[in-house]
Amino acid sequence: MPVTIRIPTPLQRLSGGKLEVTCSATSIEGLLEALEMAHPGMKERLTVSGKVRPFINLYVNGEDIRTLDAEASVLKDGDTVAIIAAIAGGHA
Amino acid sequence: MSAAALTMAGAELSAILEHCRRELPNEACGILGGRAGRVESVQPVQSAHPSPSRFAMEPTAQFLAMEELSRADRELVGIYHSHPGGPAVPSTADLQEACWPGTMLPNYPGAIQVIVSLQDGAAPIVRGYAADRGMFVEVPIRIDERETAR
Repeated sequence: MPVTIRIPTPLQRLSGGKLEVTCSATSIEGLLEALEMAHPGMKERLTVSGKVRPFINLYVNGEDIRTLDAEASVLKDGDTVAIIAAIAGGHA
Repeated sequence: MSAAALTMAGAELSAILEHCRRELPNEACGILGGRAGRVESVQPVQSAHPSPSRFAMEPTAQFLAMEELSRADRELVGIYHSHPGGPAVPSTADLQEACWPGTMLPNYPGAIQVIVSLQDGAAPIVRGYAADRGMFVEVPIRIDERETAR
């Protein structure tokens, strides 16, 4: 069983309008590569210099990857990865 | 796209204002759930780095709040935050961080950005904005006093 990825609205034009896609990957790094292969342009939207962009959060089964092993976080079949834009701002 | 207006009960507005005052001198933030531009729930979310001039929702708290919305079959109709010492108008940071990095695509196109100014503590000002092609457009916030808090 592959990994399910929940795609946020701004990236759904790259996923053909799909809210969820699936791919086979054993780590977040691998998932980013697999996403790029299946949906070109996705990696640029999600990463800069190989790291997940600031203000973009990835969660594996609800756990922020920055509290796991970041891009090296391990994935297993059946996992769900959510891509969610941070909500931030302020008067400064 | 965002709704053309955001409607909420007086009790929901009060909940937002109470949260914003409670977090002083720091900015407060939270999410508004509902349907079709009508607020049905107010969920305060903790800031990762409390500050009088910045906010960033703590990532896990944000995730959990959004999951709770889904479980309640509600949409994200609004995102609120306060400007303790500034006007109820979006800052450059508000606009930049409301869009996907490197694009003008709003992160949450269905959500109205609600900004609460506490510059005059006795008379807070609340305004709503929709992100549209890299800009914020002001939209009305309607208070429906007939509604009761849910």
